[in-house]
Amino acid sequence: MKAGIEQKLCSLTHLLTLSPFSSFSGLPVFSPAIFFRFTLHVSHDEPMKPPYNSMPKIFRILPLIFLQIIGILYPCLAEVDDAFIRSEVHKLTDEDASTRKDAIMTLAQSGDLRVEAILESYKLSEFYLWDGRVVLCTETIEDEDFNEFCLLSDLLTGEPILDENGQQVQILLEDLEEISPSRAERKLSNSAKFLVRLSSPDPEPRMSGVKKCGDPPGIIEAVPQLEEMAQNDPVKKIRYIAKESLLLIRLSRTSLEQDLDAHLEIVRELGSMKSLRGLPRLQEMFDELMIKVEALPDFEEGTDIEDLEPADAEALGIYKYAIAYKYAINQINNYQGFVGGVGNIFRGLSLGSVLILMALGLAITFGLMGVINMAHGELMMIGAYATFEMQRLFGHAPDNPSDWYYVAALPVSFLTAAFVGYLMEVLVVRHFYRRPLESLLATWGIGLVLIQLVRIRYGDNIGVNAPTWARGGLEVVQDLIVPYSRCFIILLCGLCVLLIYYLMNYTKLGLRMRATMQNRNMANSMGVNTQRVDRYTFAFGSGIAGVAGYAWTLIGGVTPDMGQNNFIIDSFLVVVTGGVGELIGVICAGLGIGVLMKVIEPLGIGSMVVGAIWAKILLLIIIVGFIQFKPVGLFAPKGRLSDV
Amino acid sequence: MFRLYSIVAIGLLLFAVGMLGVEEVNAGHHEVKIGVLHSLSGTMAISETSLRDVVLMAVEEINAAGGVMGKQIAPVVVDPASDWDLFTEKAKDLIIKEEVAVVFGCWTSVSRKSVLPVFEEHNALLFYPVQYEGEEQSLNVFYTAATPNQQLIPAAEYMMEEVGAKKFYLLGTDYVFPRTANKVLKAYLKTKGVPDENIVEEYTPFHHQDYQTIVGKIKKFAAGGDACVLSTINGDSNVPFYKEFANQGLTSDDCPIMAFSVAEDELRAMDVPPLVGHLAAWNYFQSINTPENKKFVKNFKAFCDANNLPGGSKRVTDDPIEAAYFGVYVWKAAVEKAGSFDVDKVREAVYGLEFDAPGGKKMMHANNQHTLKPVYIGEIKKNGQFKIIYKSDGLVSPDSFSRYLHPDGNYPAPTGGPKEKVGM
Repeated sequence: MKAGIEQKLCSLTHLLTLSPFSSFSGLPVFSPAIFFRFTLHVSHDEPMKPPYNSMPKIFRILPLIFLQIIGILYPCLAEVDDAFIRSEVHKLTDEDASTRKDAIMTLAQSGDLRVEAILESYKLSEFYLWDGRVVLCTETIEDEDFNEFCLLSDLLTGEPILDENGQQVQILLEDLEEISPSRAERKLSNSAKFLVRLSSPDPEPRMSGVKKCGDPPGIIEAVPQLEEMAQNDPVKKIRYIAKESLLLIRLSRTSLEQDLDAHLEIVRELGSMKSLRGLPRLQEMFDELMIKVEALPDFEEGTDIEDLEPADAEALGIYKYAIAYKYAINQINNYQGFVGGVGNIFRGLSLGSVLILMALGLAITFGLMGVINMAHGELMMIGAYATFEMQRLFGHAPDNPSDWYYVAALPVSFLTAAFVGYLMEVLVVRHFYRRPLESLLATWGIGLVLIQLVRIRYGDNIGVNAPTWARGGLEVVQDLIVPYSRCFIILLCGLCVLLIYYLMNYTKLGLRMRATMQNRNMANSMGVNTQRVDRYTFAFGSGIAGVAGYAWTLIGGVTPDMGQNNFIIDSFLVVVTGGVGELIGVICAGLGIGVLMKVIEPLGIGSMVVGAIWAKILLLIIIVGFIQFKPVGLFAPKGRLSDV
Repeated sequence: MFRLYSIVAIGLLLFAVGMLGVEEVNAGHHEVKIGVLHSLSGTMAISETSLRDVVLMAVEEINAAGGVMGKQIAPVVVDPASDWDLFTEKAKDLIIKEEVAVVFGCWTSVSRKSVLPVFEEHNALLFYPVQYEGEEQSLNVFYTAATPNQQLIPAAEYMMEEVGAKKFYLLGTDYVFPRTANKVLKAYLKTKGVPDENIVEEYTPFHHQDYQTIVGKIKKFAAGGDACVLSTINGDSNVPFYKEFANQGLTSDDCPIMAFSVAEDELRAMDVPPLVGHLAAWNYFQSINTPENKKFVKNFKAFCDANNLPGGSKRVTDDPIEAAYFGVYVWKAAVEKAGSFDVDKVREAVYGLEFDAPGGKKMMHANNQHTLKPVYIGEIKKNGQFKIIYKSDGLVSPDSFSRYLHPDGNYPAPTGGPKEKVGM
């Protein structure tokens, strides 16, 4: 059941825990395990031997050797540790529910990372009692008479248990006693799993552990470790979450009546941390408080609680709470409002940059050359498939990343799409320069042909795996995460705009392009080979479309008909709104539409929210209205161009 | 222009079929024709092509084993091209011109609704292999995939009982299945005491690609750590949704996504790392660990490879593929039980039929048109397969009409069925 790498990883973590300190719970941060984080990471790559690994080999091997030495030095310690875990696992078979519960918690607090897998197997009832010994069975086989046999494995290592002939032991299912946890125990082992993660040397599982330990109902056993981590964890974000989790656990444990000041202190602290996670809890408790406040005799409908003057001591207490709660909630809400606003702007920019990138190529082929190129979306699709081909060539896979493929795919997607565009121009488009409607139909047809060709070749939709550096995002300020992939697209979009601007205004080719578009006959008589210029212009516009498809693979899916489904309408929308023939128009229209869309979408009154569907409809209405007033778009071409 | 082309194409096709028909006259006594009505081009080709492949594989197996009642099966494959009108037309062709004994086909609910009147008018038989929104009961259709109570309800129950979710974000693509599914889910959650403010319902258009705002909302919604997403997002929108979800720092621990339209075949097309740990509810997974299933998966891969189908040996099986596959065997068993190809006799024979499917023993319902199936919940693994983390106790009985939408127990009567033999 387990993949090879996982097993390798398992045995490596096994080695890791052989070190004398790492099993020492309570001080996970300082344990040497943290130094081996590097090694753990390497173990992902090691068995696969990626051809394009950027890491020098020596760095991959050194920590391994180091680990091996440690493993040799401390074999006996490992035995003790393993024996302890085994005995605890054995307690899971106990008749007494409280013993089982204790065993789960002891295991979780042992600080041994293998416990997570053990708890997972326990949760899924993969453990069996065989001959007084707990064994793991993830696979069964059947003989001709439909008797089901279990293939037994070791509960810690997952390695098959062998009989004297070297074969994996097979036992009839009926002869084994299944260790099946109750629902409460399944839930407990699920949350105990996060306790185990607190000791992980990897920041990611540690982060999820820290977070889930504080989520309701909260794991009280995690408190000492959380306190430690809130102070000393090397990652700032984890320190913050650890503190937040601690406060949340305390908030649910300190009742209002017993310790008033301590409770209010927690509320204040959560407010000043602007804790989003605390908000639902605070709100819930505030609502309960307000019911009490409203029940007080001197409460009047419609007044602010700050303005009320309490009649007696009891009322004073309740008001004090309510005000503290309200203040904290406001603090968090205000901050979230700010983050939401900034977030919306960023989302708008990001959507805008995607739109601009889509429309840039079209701004050249349609805007400058006047070809209604309905195959524009398919050129983007070709760029995306070129990226996929590069991924295949480089052998990039989630388990075996070789991120250089994505760098190499940029020129390849440009050139592939440009080449297809070139062929299109030579074979079809050039015959239709004076007949725009026919060119619409012809390019539409080419688009359909391209879709079906790609479908026949690739059969199905395919998965492009983002390079590792484009995964995740940067937390700019608290609770505002900017995904790397979107930053990359904004950057790429800026670069493309600059490139086009430079090409059009500062190169000979650009000069010839502009000359041809403005007055073909004149350019021809001045010695410009206008046919060739047409070809290059169209190929260049197509290439830019290919780059858009390339960037798209980071945030969207890749299907043969992606061009028709996702791109073509939006691209024309942007070009037409911006004004045909003007680069600046495309930029303004793209950003404008993007930001408008993202500002409209979350708007709403109460529970009625505009949402994605209505945002799109509203946007189209706005654009239709806009075109009524400015039929030529935002930036109309002036002078001679406008006559063409 | 297209009309013209398609008329010419259909003309050619009919001509070709006609030519084949000449030969069939001689072989007719040893053959029985069945129709395969799945889109092989257009939007739905991505999903439906696999179903055609697996039906042909089942036919090949049955023929190799001696056929049905001594007759070889001759499949008639047509391509309705994801076009609902064409579905009606092709269904008529199959039933009237080809006189097929049974049809295996359709994926989307709208295609099923389009062909339904044809099947009812001519009292023909359709095996429909995809989970759907329920609220339908036609005596001319056997539904071999899940009804809402065989997929949606157990999944919601799992989220509540095992994961401990208290808040539910119902997110779907804007069409009939998600709308009805969410109606059922909402009604169910309300009976379980989930307050209104803890349920959010949201839809996106087909092919929606920008999930930034929605993921931002989910993040706020799930901040308390006890929320989950129940997703009926369909098709290519899933890719940007999961990507955005992961990129904004959300994991399956923060807020698990339970998907009802993401199976192994869809995962092939996705960047899997952002999906790891999220869930899906189905009645079958490729990872079901039985010798029968392993053999089925191996055979399917070999079949695709041998016939040079796209993907070849990298193909995977999933819930609709299994349902389409055992549909052919159910029909075969029913024909043999009835001793006749007559639709009315076969229908009676199907009721209560027990059979072995790749995913284990299953049973047709004794008096409605659906199938008793086990419910599985799987967790997505790095390799694009599911790790089964929940299995229902035994088979779950299907409800044609949801008890949550008809609390009074007044279910509509089934439609279609045997015709008086006047016009036939």
